Amino acid sequence: MNSEDRLRRLFGSLDARPGFEERVMQRVAALAAAPRQDLRTQFERRRALLRRRLRREAWMNSITVLGIGACAGALVWRYASEIQQFAMNSLQPVDSNLLIGGTIAALGAALWFVIRRLQSGR
Amino acid sequence: MPADDAIIALIQDGRAGEAFERLMPAYRRRVFGLAYSLLRDRGAAEDVAQEVFVKLWQALPRFDGRAQLSTWIYAITRNAAISAMRKRRRTLSMSDPAVQDEVESRGVVPVAEPEDAALWRQVEALPDKQRQAITLYYQEQRQVEEVAAMMGLPANTVKTHLHRARASLAAALRSAGVEGV
Repeated sequence: MNSEDRLRRLFGSLDARPGFEERVMQRVAALAAAPRQDLRTQFERRRALLRRRLRREAWMNSITVLGIGACAGALVWRYASEIQQFAMNSLQPVDSNLLIGGTIAALGAALWFVIRRLQSGR
Repeated sequence: MPADDAIIALIQDGRAGEAFERLMPAYRRRVFGLAYSLLRDRGAAEDVAQEVFVKLWQALPRFDGRAQLSTWIYAITRNAAISAMRKRRRTLSMSDPAVQDEVESRGVVPVAEPEDAALWRQVEALPDKQRQAITLYYQEQRQVEEVAAMMGLPANTVKTHLHRARASLAAALRSAGVEGV
């Protein structure tokens, strides 16, 4: 056998592994599906970001409300006798039925507000 | 080339998918051979060949027929192989033991006989362009003009590379005592 034949035999078998075309078609199919996958990923990422932001805002709101409540409680505690004195003086001329009605209305409004907040927070 | 004409007709008819299905078997060996002749590594050549066909699938609907289909495909293949070579050079250093192992165990054409192994070593020792010309010419007994189109060189230059490569191989094999040279 001469070198020409040897070279032909040596390089004649040079080809891609069997199943090459199937592998290319798989890559092509993956590429065709990629834009849809991208949109889904983008949507998931945005939703996760929004959730995180809302959770952070909810925490901030809770901290603010608790802070204001604590300050108000401390003030009432500190000036309890002055507040009692003031309330007694200012409410003396008011009718007791009106006072009870007003108190119940204020408590009801506060309760309604709390329930609404709890329902919207679900 | 008649196959190319049919593929181009399908593209112009807006049937790029069908054109691609015809193009892949027609060009698989040529694209793989060209990538292999540049990279000298079967695994890397197959990766590049796959990448080339994926690029062709994306670009085929935009092929305007100004260049020959084969010229366009060979240019894409050469660019992809050169990019792969650059990437490999950037990530690997020859002093790295893993690279030396890779060079030693590089996926070569399977050689069944000792004379073939000797010939293979001599081909590997040829200058790049001569080795590339020999690989592409003998892969499918191609015309020199087609090898020239694949390498992006004038046909006369390829003829010179082939002539010099054959002479070097004959001399090397003769001195190695291989019969039938």
